[in-house]
Amino acid sequence: MLLLAVTVATATLAMGLSLRGASDALYVQTRAATAGPDVVALSGDTGRAVTSALTGLADDPEVVAHHGPYQIVYADLTTRGSATSPVVVHGFDERPAAINRPLLTSGRWIRPGGTVLERGFATELGVKVGDRVTIEGRAYPVLGIAVTAATSIYPWAAQIGPGGGPSNYTGLAWMTRADARELAAAHDLPVTTAIDLKLKDPGATEAFREAHRFPAPRVNLHSWQFNAEQDARILRNSEPILIVGSWLLAFLAITGVAALATGRALEQTRRAGLLKAVGATPALIATVLLTEYLTLALAGEALGLAIARLAMPALASPTASRIGDLGGPGTGTVIATTVLALVVAVLSALRPTLRALRTATVTALSAAAHQPRRRPWLTALSALLPTPLLLGLRLTARHPGRAVLQAGSIATTVFAIATLLALFAEPVRGYGLNGSPALPNLRDAHDRRLLLAVTALLIVLALVNAITFTWTMAIEARTNVAIARALGATPGQVTAGLSAAQLLPAVPGAALGVLLHLGLRWLLTAGNAADAPVPWLLGAALATVLATAALTALPARLAARRPVARTLSAEAT
Amino acid sequence: MSESSAVIQVRGLVKEHGQGESRVRAVDEVDLEVPQGEMLAVMGPSGCGKSTLLHLLGGLERPTRGEVWVAGRRIDGLSERALARLRRRSVGFVFQAFHLVEELSAAENVELPALLAGGSPRQARRRAGVLLERVGLAARARHLPSQLSGGQRQRVAIARALVNEPLVVLADEPTGNLDSAASLEVLRIFEELRAAGQTLVIVTHDERVAAGADRLISMRDGMFVDDTRLAGATPRGLGDLLNLDG
Repeated sequence: MLLLAVTVATATLAMGLSLRGASDALYVQTRAATAGPDVVALSGDTGRAVTSALTGLADDPEVVAHHGPYQIVYADLTTRGSATSPVVVHGFDERPAAINRPLLTSGRWIRPGGTVLERGFATELGVKVGDRVTIEGRAYPVLGIAVTAATSIYPWAAQIGPGGGPSNYTGLAWMTRADARELAAAHDLPVTTAIDLKLKDPGATEAFREAHRFPAPRVNLHSWQFNAEQDARILRNSEPILIVGSWLLAFLAITGVAALATGRALEQTRRAGLLKAVGATPALIATVLLTEYLTLALAGEALGLAIARLAMPALASPTASRIGDLGGPGTGTVIATTVLALVVAVLSALRPTLRALRTATVTALSAAAHQPRRRPWLTALSALLPTPLLLGLRLTARHPGRAVLQAGSIATTVFAIATLLALFAEPVRGYGLNGSPALPNLRDAHDRRLLLAVTALLIVLALVNAITFTWTMAIEARTNVAIARALGATPGQVTAGLSAAQLLPAVPGAALGVLLHLGLRWLLTAGNAADAPVPWLLGAALATVLATAALTALPARLAARRPVARTLSAEAT
Repeated sequence: MSESSAVIQVRGLVKEHGQGESRVRAVDEVDLEVPQGEMLAVMGPSGCGKSTLLHLLGGLERPTRGEVWVAGRRIDGLSERALARLRRRSVGFVFQAFHLVEELSAAENVELPALLAGGSPRQARRRAGVLLERVGLAARARHLPSQLSGGQRQRVAIARALVNEPLVVLADEPTGNLDSAASLEVLRIFEELRAAGQTLVIVTHDERVAAGADRLISMRDGMFVDDTRLAGATPRGLGDLLNLDG
């Protein structure tokens, strides 16, 4: 339980923390492999002045190499499978240039009459080398698939829109200069002119931009840092989903493991008593009692980091537009996950450990079950209820702290499910022409997949917690359960009572989860943001409560069928 | 057999624990009949099967073989649910370790079986009050078990066993955890119950308890080795034995 809980929590945290650097790392590696330019100058204006302005940039003493000017043509592309998408066609030389040299990942470079597609774009289109695509009504064979660092990842290949305006979600294709020119002329398509520049100091792009502000013609200067930042846009929501998810998972881990540790408190107290009896110091006893939890937590952390390492490539690069290796989690990430694992272990086991330390040696050696606090009004209230609820309420009242943890666990899960439903309720604009969903919205799909994964993990932990809570309660209350059965409670009533003890906190927990979601939604999102319909939210809350009831039924049934005579005889000795 | 007036009847009762070579026969081919109003004491060394017999009579354990009848109804094949219902109405248990619910007061412990049997809270509370009065603990009705002495706890347990007016009270070493004075308190209550016609089966090591019974069965190795009717065991006789004032 502790191992599972810490593994998922630390894996999620490690992935969340590593994302920030992962996108940059992949951009830097792609840039190195493709001789990426330091600055790309683009102008949506036309005429000699544009060419003159752009070539003038190449003459700047800070510029050590350049590629272009070349034309970027705005067109529409259709695949044989009828997927359609806006595309920017870069008119390049047949021989690779010194800078901005796209790296072929399959096939060959451009020839007249053929095209090379950017890898992220081709992957989403489902197009391979040898297929044919139609651009503005003319079919082109796909000669190759390549990556470049001169533009941002798919679907943000169009750095500027036609005329320097805003751009749509767009893919990238390369053609020969002549083919691109002919394409634009034949269909009177908008064209942008661009030049790629290599600077003496690649880090001085901002100073270069400041030094070259054109009133006319309008020229946009995009630095490599800007492109790297643009890349990270696709992961904009991933980091908070993972980091907040890891907090929620850590909370569930603490609630579940704390319940488990409390269930073992009697055993721990006896161990403490034995150690005290042979002269162990409080520090040594604390170390002995906590070591098991700390060891398991650190093992869970190691597993979590390994999982994060394996999952990062898919997570950090939802498009296929970048190449490279991410390496392992950084030092900061490892420190953060270690802290998380230790916090989970210590918070879970601290209370029973302290109780064991404070218990006098003789008492500890003969440790009877923890004396639950008396709650007369709850006892009186429960007397008015049917037998299963009477038993359920009295069992809940024995450990109200655990009921609060159980309610928190359910609230967290329902909150995550509600957030997931809200995300799925939002309309998605696809990357196809005019927002067609034929090409799915990668960022939204990525966010949804991530939130779905985090929610699934939360649900799994919450379900494990529900079983743990029930079983721990059944173990602790085994004498009372046996007494109730000896006095005439049926196994069915005891099963229902144990389940009811879980449902009593689960119902307010589920309601709290929905309210938390609605409250945060109201606070943090725009008024016109779509939200999940109320029946969905109520359905999620109800489903969670029912799932809790179903899951607790089995351990409750097992506990209710434990032999009464054996339990009572064991307690008597 | 079901037409007999006996509250408890047992035929060929066998209970085995364990498997294979480690199998132990705790109760071995036992026959028994306990008529209405009888106080039966079962004595024997530790591990002879006394407590197991009591558990079998109360439906807390199932026999390996044989028949158990309670109030004219065969119970050895009943479902756990039916056994639970039987215990609610027909059987009251008193345990050596008291087995009171620690977070409930004396009154709440006594009324618990009544609530489990579906009685109204008000009736259950009234009945608990009457029984606590009867066992001399009316003033301690609100006390928790941890605030009571051993003898007082056992008296609460006896009151609890009586709350649903059972046909038979099964007591397992009721004085086993008590000092002499506390044992006398408990014995006095059993004497009153016997005088009132309550059927009692008491497993005990305590000869004072056995001496007050109508009948004494000795057990060894799971078998009955002696079954003696104690002719002089009247309520008065027990009082004399214990030097009670009456």
